[in-house]
Amino acid sequence: MLDWLQFVLAPQVVNGLSIGVAVVLMALGLTIIFGLLDVINMAHGEFYAIGAYAALALIGVGLPFWWALALTPLLMAAVGYATERALIQRVFHSKDRHTLTLLLTFGIAIVLEDILKIVFGANPLRIEQPITGATEMFGLFFPNYRLFLMAVGAVVIAAVWLVVFRTRLGAMVRAAAFDRHMAASLGVPVSVVYAGTFAFGVALAGLSGVLLAPIYSVFPTMGRDFVLIAFSVVIIGGMGSIKGAVIAGLLLTQVQSISSLVISPVWSDPLLFGIMVLVLMWRPHGLFGRLGHG
Amino acid sequence: MKPTTDDAILKVRGLTVRFGSLVAVDGVGFDAQRGHITAVIGPNGAGKSSLFNLISGAFRPSAGQVLLEGRDVTGASPNRMLAAGLSRSFQITNLFFELPVRENLRLAAQSVEGGRGLLRHVSASRAAQRRVDELIERFALHARADELAGFLSHGEQRRLEIAVALAARPRLLLLDEPTQGMSHADTQDTAALIRSLVDDGLSILLVEHDVDLVMDLSDHVVVMHQGAKLAEGRPEAVRADPAVQAAYFGEVQEPAHA
Amino acid sequence: MAEVLTIGRAPTPSVDAKRSAVRWLSYAFFAMALLFAAVAAALGDVFFFRLATESLIFGGLALSVDLLLGRTGLLPLGQALFFGFGAYVSALTLKHLAPSLPLALAVVLVSGTLVGLVGGLIAIRAKGVYFALISFGLAQVVSKIVFNTRELGASDGLIGVPAPVVSLGVASFDTAHAPSFFLLVLAGMAALLALLMRLMDTPFGRQLDAIRTNEHRLAFLGFDPWRYKLAAFVLAADIAALSGALYPMLRGFVSPELMFFQVSGNAVINVVVGGTGTFVGALYGSALLTALKSVVGSFTAHHAIVIGALFVVSVIFFPKGLVGYLAPALERLWSRR
Repeated sequence: MLDWLQFVLAPQVVNGLSIGVAVVLMALGLTIIFGLLDVINMAHGEFYAIGAYAALALIGVGLPFWWALALTPLLMAAVGYATERALIQRVFHSKDRHTLTLLLTFGIAIVLEDILKIVFGANPLRIEQPITGATEMFGLFFPNYRLFLMAVGAVVIAAVWLVVFRTRLGAMVRAAAFDRHMAASLGVPVSVVYAGTFAFGVALAGLSGVLLAPIYSVFPTMGRDFVLIAFSVVIIGGMGSIKGAVIAGLLLTQVQSISSLVISPVWSDPLLFGIMVLVLMWRPHGLFGRLGHG
Repeated sequence: MKPTTDDAILKVRGLTVRFGSLVAVDGVGFDAQRGHITAVIGPNGAGKSSLFNLISGAFRPSAGQVLLEGRDVTGASPNRMLAAGLSRSFQITNLFFELPVRENLRLAAQSVEGGRGLLRHVSASRAAQRRVDELIERFALHARADELAGFLSHGEQRRLEIAVALAARPRLLLLDEPTQGMSHADTQDTAALIRSLVDDGLSILLVEHDVDLVMDLSDHVVVMHQGAKLAEGRPEAVRADPAVQAAYFGEVQEPAHA
Repeated sequence: MAEVLTIGRAPTPSVDAKRSAVRWLSYAFFAMALLFAAVAAALGDVFFFRLATESLIFGGLALSVDLLLGRTGLLPLGQALFFGFGAYVSALTLKHLAPSLPLALAVVLVSGTLVGLVGGLIAIRAKGVYFALISFGLAQVVSKIVFNTRELGASDGLIGVPAPVVSLGVASFDTAHAPSFFLLVLAGMAALLALLMRLMDTPFGRQLDAIRTNEHRLAFLGFDPWRYKLAAFVLAADIAALSGALYPMLRGFVSPELMFFQVSGNAVINVVVGGTGTFVGALYGSALLTALKSVVGSFTAHHAIVIGALFVVSVIFFPKGLVGYLAPALERLWSRR
């Protein structure tokens, strides 16, 4: 029994954790964009994919992985900022804002995916794992890259939480989300805050893309496959809830990881989806969702 | 002629609702007589809206009972309340703004038909059409009948709000601040309208901020303060009650002018 | 998207006039389709007939989306699930039971209703965004399962579906005959369109409009919106499935791609570009985008970017869509005479 725990279960748990932090980063971006802008970003998966491709491109021109890791989120933030100001803000003031932003981001997703296909081709590409080898702990070998991933993920998640809840910037953003007009009259540059928040969410998606690129391969529709689990996490955790995104993200990836021991991977998505539906039936606003959102 | 026998269409007993640690309505009980206008008044935050929401089925009470014509309807859903004969209007106008006035009324009148005629052409439902025409006449909406409800003036919308609540032929009508935001002239017209409804046999439970209007219009007044019932009785008696005056002391009750 | 019924500032034209403009545009659509048929017959090229039939079939799917989005106020991002379901069931019926069109449609109608009911019970409890995502998720999950099911042909799908012969008493025609099938499908879509427009003038249909406009008030008027939404969902599932049932008759095969998000997404695009809530807009949108895809596709494989960009522009600058702008414009033109 102990052997099974050590040699079968534990690796799956660690595996799940390493994917989990990346999923949480993605979900954080999505939930922040929703919580603060009230926008469902259907293009979030595509930004994740662009992040991976951007890293690929940077590595392709000779930069080491670490540079790509640092630069890609910045690039993605710029892309996100531009997208919000150029496109999303235009429908923001409409009465049908919820439907329109959903449709708009959905259209943007289609365009972005095809751009990726045009620029990079439809074939899957790979990024070399920047850290090879494994470390021995408790009689097991853990791949170093995955350990690294968990560390980076944890640090970024903690940083996000700190920024949102413990800084003036975060307070400003939360004020703008709560009451746009009041925040504006208090001197908060609301348009910039909105665009900046969107940029931030997109940067998190891009970062997630870079981190997972060496593990999964990189292909134009990778975003669409991955976004379903991100949305599931956000919905289960509660749209707009950071705590929810973290807890649901880690839990669900564990479920996915451990269940892969007993069921075939084909049933992994249906399982997660089924859990999402059940949670919605029991708690329509997710585990930690706040009333008035969604 | 107002009925003189004790014929309560609505009996509320010990009605209570808690939101977390806040007790919004605290053990409120009163009777509303059939064919009378019963008004619920009180300073801001007294719990009048919450009381209305409890009686109309929008919220479930934490404790207490609501009896409509002797039947226990405590905690029933709004559509079951309507079936039992209770309809309400809303303080914040809650119409189908993107639909024409006629359609707003037709929707409300349709429920009288129940599930019958669901797939027949709308014009086939004569009873509903007649009701719509009746209401348009009564509420003087003839000139605007084909306009979208969202384009009506505020006063017209408030009238339509009442008409919609009335369309399903309820026996008890709950009016939530019907003259809210109205001009003085509109307020008087609405008061006359409400009186005429009662003359036709309808019972009305009214929440109003305009105390003068309430004193003129109602047969029975219930005063709420901080979630509980403070006083109850004929308008003159309530007005003279020192406890009521104390509760309102410092509150400048302006009649609702434009 | 409620903007379709909101016409303009003062003076407010009556809603009936707008509806007659929409009606006129509906007649125009079918007139143009017949004209197209005449031209295509003269040119003698089967390709155009098949392309046009395909646009009508996907137009049917778009109609199902419009019923939900444009009228009931629910955005479905996975309607392809029912379309693909109808296609597969139709293919299986034609291959293994009998190559009969009425049989295939009947089997699809019954099974589609059941599947729609199950899907609806899951999805309808959710509102707004959640509904969109559940519908998206359902389609993703089922399409993946179908993709991996060997009995259904896995990624290759089912091929060799026979084209049935339809006998209408006096005449009979072979659905493999492209012009005949085109006319048959055209008639079918006309009937469907007429049915839907008539439906919206019944108390049931008006309830859907009311739900879209102000769901909250409906309970206080004595109605349970949930029942109506579920009924609308099942009806939309049936429409999508029946449209999908026609696909194997046209192409002779079905594949999991028919359930993919691409198809759901295109249906939504068709509706928005054509005019949300107008019904005929869905058909116009499908025709427009099929033509566009064909034209762009002859230059490059990347028609998605063109269509996507067009959609984005449409959402930002022309949210009411083609018919959504044409109809009031026509109405204004007529009222000036």
